[in-house]
This record gives sequence, C-alpha cells and structure tokens, in this order.
Amino acid sequence: MIATVALVALSLPVRPAAGQDAARRTADGKPDLNGIWQALNTANWDIQDHSAGPGPVAALGATGAVPPGQGVVEGDEIPYLPAAAKKKQENFANRFTADPEIKCYLPGVPRATYLPQPFQVIQGAKSILIAYQYAGAVRTIPLEDPGPSPAPSWMGWSVGHWEGNTLVVDVTGLNDQTWFDRAGNFHSDALHVVERYTPSSPDILMYEATIEDPKVFTRPWKISMPLYRRVEKNAQLLEFKCVEFSEEVIYGHLRKKASK
Amino acid sequence: MRARLGVVAAIAGLLLAGAPAWAHHAFAAEFDANKPLKLHGVVTKWELINPHSWINLDVKSADGKVTGWMVEGGSPNALFRLGFTKDSLPPGTEIIVEGFQSKDGTNRAVGANLTFTDGRKLFLGSSAPGSNPDRPSLTPPKDPGKN
Amino acid sequence: MSRLAGPLVALAIASGVALLAPVPLAGQAPPSAKTGTPSRTPDGQPDLQGIWTNATLTPLERPAELAGREFYTEQELAEIEKRAQEKPRSPESAGTVAHYDFAQYGLDPNQAKRASNRRTSLIVDPPDGKIPPLTPEGRKRAAERAEARKRSGPFDGPETRPLGERCIWMAGEGPPMLPEAYNANIQIQQGPGYVAILQEEIHDVRIIPLDGRPHVGRKIRLWMGDPRGRWEGNTLVVDTTNFTDRTNFRGSSENLHVIERFTRTAEDTILYEFTVEDPATWARSWKAELPMVKTQGPIFEYACHEGNYGMANILRGARAQEQAAEEAAKAKK
Repeated sequence: MIATVALVALSLPVRPAAGQDAARRTADGKPDLNGIWQALNTANWDIQDHSAGPGPVAALGATGAVPPGQGVVEGDEIPYLPAAAKKKQENFANRFTADPEIKCYLPGVPRATYLPQPFQVIQGAKSILIAYQYAGAVRTIPLEDPGPSPAPSWMGWSVGHWEGNTLVVDVTGLNDQTWFDRAGNFHSDALHVVERYTPSSPDILMYEATIEDPKVFTRPWKISMPLYRRVEKNAQLLEFKCVEFSEEVIYGHLRKKASK
Repeated sequence: MRARLGVVAAIAGLLLAGAPAWAHHAFAAEFDANKPLKLHGVVTKWELINPHSWINLDVKSADGKVTGWMVEGGSPNALFRLGFTKDSLPPGTEIIVEGFQSKDGTNRAVGANLTFTDGRKLFLGSSAPGSNPDRPSLTPPKDPGKN
Repeated sequence: MSRLAGPLVALAIASGVALLAPVPLAGQAPPSAKTGTPSRTPDGQPDLQGIWTNATLTPLERPAELAGREFYTEQELAEIEKRAQEKPRSPESAGTVAHYDFAQYGLDPNQAKRASNRRTSLIVDPPDGKIPPLTPEGRKRAAERAEARKRSGPFDGPETRPLGERCIWMAGEGPPMLPEAYNANIQIQQGPGYVAILQEEIHDVRIIPLDGRPHVGRKIRLWMGDPRGRWEGNTLVVDTTNFTDRTNFRGSSENLHVIERFTRTAEDTILYEFTVEDPATWARSWKAELPMVKTQGPIFEYACHEGNYGMANILRGARAQEQAAEEAAKAKK
C-alpha cells in the first residue's frame, strides 16, 4: 500500500498546490520540518531509470538483486562533461567494489537523503540539525551564514534560509570522495548543492536538489522526490554504526595470517 | 603545611595519572621511535582529515631524486577553531619535518616538529595569541615536546 | 609581560566564569539551586542549546593523596591551573616520543577552554570519590574479557584494536559523557519533543525523545544505549538503557543504566550530573558531576573512519615486523 502511494507520488509535480499551506507550523511560526523521514524509492541504487539486475553476490540469489526503479533526475539525463562521462562508465563497471557506501563512508549530500534508512530533523529557531541513521551521519544547518568552510568534508558545509514554506539549504565544502548512488554517478570537490525542503502535507516533504559542478557537468541539473514521515508511534533512529561491517573489506588483507 | 605539600604532590601526580588517553591511536604501534628522521621538502598536499591530518611532501635528495612522503599530524578541528584553514599551508610551501618513520618502513612518518625553513614553527608561528576568543592568551610553551 | 604572567592572566580570564559569576559551578551548591528563569526554546523547553565543552583538570576518581578532601581551596586550584599551564602536553605523556607536537595542532588542553572545578574528583558519591569495587560477577566478567583479549595478539586484525582506534566509539562519548583528551566539545540542539546531543568525537548524535515512550525492546542493543528524556523543572533528565555488552564502560555489563541530569545554572554553564548503576558490575550505584561551559563553534565534522590511515599503517607495521622476525629466524638457521 505504501509502495503504491510512493509510485503515485513520484509521478506528481513536486511543488505543493499554489496558495496551499500544507505545513505544520512551529511555535515560532516556521514551517515545521521536525520528524523522522525516509525516501521510498531506489535512487540509492541508481538515481536514473534502471531495470532490475543481478547483485554482486550470486549466493544471495534474489535477496541480493538490484530492484528496478524510475529515476529521480529531471529529464533522466545527467549532463556529464566527456571525460566525466567516461569516468562514470568506469565507476559503473567497478560499482560493486568502488562505491564508498561499501566502506561505510559518510554518504555526502544529497545521497544521505535517499539512502534506504530514515533520518531525523531537529529544528531549532537558529539552526536545524539533520541526523541520519546510516553511519551516524549528521549535518548542522545554521540559519545564519557561518562563513566559508575551513576545509572540505564528507557532509559539507551548510547554510539555510526560509523561502515561504521552503527550507533552502546551500551546501558547499563537500569533498570529492562520495558518489550519488551505487551506480557510480559522481562529482568533484567543486560540487555545490542547493536543497529545497517543502512540506506538501503533514506527512510528506517534497525534496529537490540542484546540483552544480563545473568540473564534472556541463550545466546544473536537478533531482526531486517525496520524503515520507515515519508515522509509527515508536519511530526512532537506531544505530547503524557500520564501521565494523566494513573492516574486512578495508583491512582484511592486513590481517595476521594463521600460523602455518 | 604537611597537608598542603601532600596536596601539591597529588596535583603533580594528577596531571599525569588523571589524564585521559592522549591520542586517537597507539603511536608506538604506528611509528618507530628508533627511526628518527629529518625531512626537508615541499608541500604537495595537506589532507585536513580526521582523526589525523597528513602533510604530503616531496623531498629532493642530493642526487636530485624526488621522493614523496606523508607526515601524520593532529586532528585539524582545533586548527580550524584557531582560525587556520585549508589555505594556511598551501602546496609549494617549503618545510622541515623532524619526526619518526613508520614501522612498516614506507615513506610515512609522524611529524614531531614542523618548521618553516627560517625556523618558525608551523601553525604556532603564524597564530596570533588570542586569535581564538575562547583561548587564553598563551605565550607559546617553551620547547614543547622536549620537557 | 613575563612568560609566567601571561598564562596566569589568561587563567584569571579563563576561570573568570567561576570567580566572578554569581552562579556557582559544580560542587559549590546543590544542583537543585535554581537561579532565575532560564531562557526557553520556542516550544517552551528550558534552552540548553549551544556548543559546550566538558574539558576539566579534575579526574573521575579522587587521587589517593587527596583522601578525605572533597574540594581544593581557591589557592590550590590556582596552583593546579598554573602547573597545568606550565606543563604542556608532551609526546612522552602520550606514551611515546614518536608523536606530533600537541601545541602545534592546538591540541594541548591548555589551549582550549575548560571549566574551573574545585572538586578533587568528578565522582561525588560514594563520598570517597572512587568507583565502587566490582562485584564477584563483575570481576569474573573482567577476567573473562581479559582472557578473550589474550586469545589473539593486539595487532592481529582490526577487531583486536581499541574501539576508539577503530573509530567506532570513543570512551568519553558514553553515556555518561566524560571529556575527551581534546576536541571535548558537545553541541545541544532542541526541537519540539526532542533534545539532540552531538559529540564532536565521533560525530555521534544521541536523539532523546521527551514524550514518555518506553525504551525499545530488549533485543535491540545499542553502543550508546537507548535514551529517554523528561523535564524535571528546569533539569533535563535522561534515562538510558539497552547498551551492548561491548561498550564496556569501566567494566559494565549490557544492563548498564545511566541517568543524566542537565541543568543550566548560568548563561554559559550547564551542570552535568550522572548516576550509573549496574548491579551485575558494582555493588552500588555511583554518581559524578562536572560543569560544561560554552565554547566556540561551529563543530567541524570529525569523520574518523573515513580518514583512518593509522589503522592500516599499524596493521601493516605489525606484518612488516613479523616478516622481519621470520627472516631473521631463517637467517640464523
């Protein structure tokens, strides 16, 4: 049932109807984004249209297979520069070993939003904190400009402001180590993301991200998707401290060999 | 008076014993105190990453051969609080590193003391005391690390 | 200004909070003492928000030499602060000469803000300032854990390294939260129905619901436990259970139960108190308190695992040494 809702929602325009104030309000009169949210799509597998396919581990059979999905990229086209298009193909070929998610690395923005795990918004009057279940990733979004980022980081350097019902977050200072998905879509450290979070009903947040990176793309492009409130009474983030699940992949070759 | 002396003695002990672990990892396990070295090189990259920053530098030997080295330093977060940024140690900067080589024998080292070629200490040398509003106006400690 | 006078003046400034502020710090008044009305968040919670540090010179347990002494005098405290300033952290204090210089990286604790604290130990109960002795069961568990560690060499693989070195969990993260050696910073963010506590190391956020819901089911175990909060007047009370048995806080079992209390006693001070109980580990519960003071933000991302070159270097170093030893043994034959 939820899946059906998701598919319908995906095909809808991402802006709420004009004049409609679908947002709950906080005590200080701002749209209320507080809550636990989750994307319900396959963008983490591939932000573009994709058919079902086999997974990397034959032994996992159907449980390890890649589910099909319609893309979240406007027009389904990512405008790579020629060299970058080639790099994307390489990434795709190596995706089951090279995706930084395999190593439990922080996911970057916007990927954190549509990983198949929930995240929680804690909205204060001066800043907004977003905590993601995956890898304990977290961002603080000050509503006053904190100045330039001192150095690149995995989750970037955010500053937010309100435009009507929309929280607009400008993200810079992202490093070049994260991917957009498991299909090898990537970016450089010149990445600039502008995110827009707009409540379209009490339990749906419309999410848009405009992606700009002159080192990798010929023009800015956009993704969009609904995010659904986890309405379970007991909904809460749990720990997905995945470091220990990645240690064999990262350090396995440096283990002491069993003595002969 | 005796009680007072006892307290002072306790204080001295406290400053050592009460201290939490001082680093993120076991340095003696990563670097070899028996392999001191001195590198004179040119910064190629400064990786401002946690838990430890790494200065990459090119070191030219007498016969003109250039070798790349990686030098481990502290967490960058405190440097940022002091106002340093990724632009504070640009590629091309000539520096001298006194440190210790890694146990695996590769071109990695820990940088015990980092100076510009004129002897000024990196980071300390250019940080105006009091530049961090939270930080007391400290006179740089005398010969730190050698006490 | 002489070399000595600088730090002393700085100290006076740094500890001005304690000397000048009308509101007492840890240990100088019962925590229930309420002073004025703290500011409120838009949804009416007492406002704890900001960037705080829990750095301190006071150890968790009272040193033996100070038995029977709960507080330093002001003069003794000044002496301690002075000595700390005169004695920068050295590589030797990190257990090796092969170490970077703390002060160069701004990581000498003297370079960071810390709250003044006249207490001789953070532990306030039992009154001797010591963690209560382990129960027989606690001792047995400790012995078993030590035995398990011996089954593999300390450098055999990542699993045999400490949790902090693996970037999984820093011991100071708790809960209970105790100061890290550096970057001992904590961000508190509040939203309707929730308090979130972010610790700089290792970017872990504890999200504390305030709606009175029960703890998660017993089968769910968490490195940092499952927190539940409520306001008692102006004090945030956080009750945490459902720990893993791997967190091992000072020998604790997975039945560790931590109760924390956060009271904003001044604009720039939170009194942090905690009680830990675990009948399977200690014969009685114990309690500690320390002040957290406002410090400078923002907190930069402490992405630890991602840049953990040290882990690979340590394991590679161990393998290189084993190989060298093997070759030396062969050469002898």
